[in-house]
Amino acid sequence: MDSEDDMHDANDLDSLDDDFYSGETEDAPMDYYTDYDDDADDYFDDGDDSDPADSRRPEQNFTILKESDIRQRQEDDISRVAAVLSIPRVAASILLRHYNWSVSKVNDAWFADEEQVRKTVGLLEKKVYENPDANELTCGICFEVYPPSKIQTASCGHPYCFSCWGGYIGTSINDGPGCLMLRCPDPSCGAAVDQDMINLLVSAEDKEKYDRYLLRSYIEDNKKTKWCPAPGCEHAVNFDAGSGSYDVSCLCSYSFCWNCTEEAHRPVDCGTVSKWILKNSAESENMNWILANSKPCPKCKRPIEKNQGCMHMTCTPPCKFEFCWLCLGAWTDHGERTGGFYACNRYEAAKQEGVYDETEKRREMAKNSLERYTHYYERWASNQSSRQKALADLHQMQTINIEKLSDTQCQPESQLKFITEAWLQIVECRRVLKWTYAYGFYLAEHEQGKKQFFEYLQGEAESGLERLHQCAEKELQVFLNGDGPSKDFNDFRTKLAGLTSVTRNYFENLVRALENGLCDVDSNGAASSKATGSKNAAGSSKGRGGRGKGTIRASMSSRITDDNHWSCEQCTYANVRSATACQMCNQPRR
Amino acid sequence: MIQRIKVWALELLFLFGLFVHNLSSNQTLFQLSKLSFASMASQASLLLQKQLKDLCKHPVDGFSAGLVDETNIFEWSVTIIGPPDTLYEGGFFNAIMSFPQNYPNSPPSVKFTSEIWHPNVYPDGRVCISILHPPGEDPNGYELASERWTPVHTVESIVLSIISMLSGPNDESPANVEAAKEWRDRRDDFKKKVSRCVRKSQEML
Repeated sequence: MDSEDDMHDANDLDSLDDDFYSGETEDAPMDYYTDYDDDADDYFDDGDDSDPADSRRPEQNFTILKESDIRQRQEDDISRVAAVLSIPRVAASILLRHYNWSVSKVNDAWFADEEQVRKTVGLLEKKVYENPDANELTCGICFEVYPPSKIQTASCGHPYCFSCWGGYIGTSINDGPGCLMLRCPDPSCGAAVDQDMINLLVSAEDKEKYDRYLLRSYIEDNKKTKWCPAPGCEHAVNFDAGSGSYDVSCLCSYSFCWNCTEEAHRPVDCGTVSKWILKNSAESENMNWILANSKPCPKCKRPIEKNQGCMHMTCTPPCKFEFCWLCLGAWTDHGERTGGFYACNRYEAAKQEGVYDETEKRREMAKNSLERYTHYYERWASNQSSRQKALADLHQMQTINIEKLSDTQCQPESQLKFITEAWLQIVECRRVLKWTYAYGFYLAEHEQGKKQFFEYLQGEAESGLERLHQCAEKELQVFLNGDGPSKDFNDFRTKLAGLTSVTRNYFENLVRALENGLCDVDSNGAASSKATGSKNAAGSSKGRGGRGKGTIRASMSSRITDDNHWSCEQCTYANVRSATACQMCNQPRR
Repeated sequence: MIQRIKVWALELLFLFGLFVHNLSSNQTLFQLSKLSFASMASQASLLLQKQLKDLCKHPVDGFSAGLVDETNIFEWSVTIIGPPDTLYEGGFFNAIMSFPQNYPNSPPSVKFTSEIWHPNVYPDGRVCISILHPPGEDPNGYELASERWTPVHTVESIVLSIISMLSGPNDESPANVEAAKEWRDRRDDFKKKVSRCVRKSQEML
């Protein structure tokens, strides 16, 4: 029963806290798959395990850190440095802060030139200031005289009384994270103020603030860690650079790109994403629209949109200027002489002379580019909102509907996992699909071959997803609202689970193709490459499946996979023998 | 009878002890609750009074200092004598130093009331030198911590810094751009304006 496992992995949302590593599937009987025989099963799980660059389960190269983990790591690093350099822990902490919490950098610098490091960091080995009178010390800030017990010094020896130290450190802590680098108040002295002194000298409230800054510094100054950007989330992510994707998903279920900290945008690269986001927010699109669809009033210069109608324009009060839309001349100049009120021949003449060409052309171009952008933007945005909706539905499913369904259909909840999995797949696919529209927008216009291949893959993936979404959203309702167990429920299970896995395959192909820059196609060979491209994509995913059963099935004709099923040539779904068209994609059986 | 008195005395002592104890614990409570303002302000005024006394007893060459208003220890009036061998020689420049309640943890501000033409003095008279900048302004600039405000500075060290500013203007980060440009490019014009200020300051005496 590999499929359960695989589908599970495919959905990064709950994969972190879940037990899929532990081979939980062994214990849970997965009855719903008994509708498939081994072969069909085999069919659905392909493409998940064998490819190192696999889109769904990259080797996890990040760790989510809770606050306790962060503290633990910080403590460990400090202890390590303290042990290796034989210095107190507070000194190790200061060193690490200076070297952005990199243990190796601290070690390198220290063993290269300990004296220099001590000087820059402010860890003095001996005092630079000796008190002339050991029994009576004058505080360097308030100039009061104190016995030595009332005086504190940093490693430099400059004496200040407890209350002056308290004021000095407290002010610094309330000024921000700069307090982590605090030095002795003496202007000529760079001795560091360590955490022991801080704990000794300031109020509990300030201590806590300092502690917070120290913790934040560990994440923010360290190149390998970042805070999860989701609002309200307090986890951090430790990322090990290397191969694989930048996608990271936090325990809070937010997925983001490590590199640019935007939301996860695989298979589209960070550059495209930032361009796209900028484009969406930029006023330039509004300007393009105004340019394309409006002309300024010749008198007051306010932009005017002409939404059909005659050429006789009257600007809104207070301007009220009446003019001709075509030539922008005053309406009073128009009459029989100029070719009638409603067809301005002054404009035609001027156009022939080339007076209006330039602006008209620009207007036309802007209009085209705007339409193009709107096309992609609309689809990007609707997939975004569709994903939000799916997330809400998923939540609803997990919290309420599964339980309800379990009651009406008399099924244990463990048997209804396929529904959650379908929804997780939908959420992930919406995300991918959304970003493919940003990708499409930036795909070079002249690379026809790539463009067609891309649109083909995207179209396939999208229609697969629509079917899945439809099935999970609408068809489920019947069983949810039903009075008692329905005999069709098992068919529904088969269909939804099948759709989930088929859709996953489509999206894997799409992601893989986009990530290698659509290199299966050369930019010109449009028609032929389209077919091979899809063949390759489908074939490659199959070739790798099998888990020891090892049958390569790259044939594109529909085949009888066993006595009871035939697999669809288009979507690979294993249909029952009796079906004349694919139950998934309606492709007629060949 | 003696026994009795002893017991009374003990009781009295006990009560008295309680009383004293209460007093002191009240005081700590008071200090804790009002910690910042009352104690900070009193620390600041004590320190300023001490400095004022010291400066009266041991005046420092180059300037004189006093309070603007005898009842307010946080506003000082300082007269700085133009340092010899500089353009400002012979001038008597008045300035007001205003100390914050949390002095010495935050720096005072200094503003000339006499007219003065200098690259590091804003046209309205405010003095712009690095030691008067709060330490927290630049969290990463710790390498320059020595040039910024620290609580060890006193009225004396501040005024000495201002005097040294008069001797050597810093045109890298000018407060008065016009003056800085003039100082760099048209030194004669600059000199003229400064001498006018010096003369004016003498007339004001």
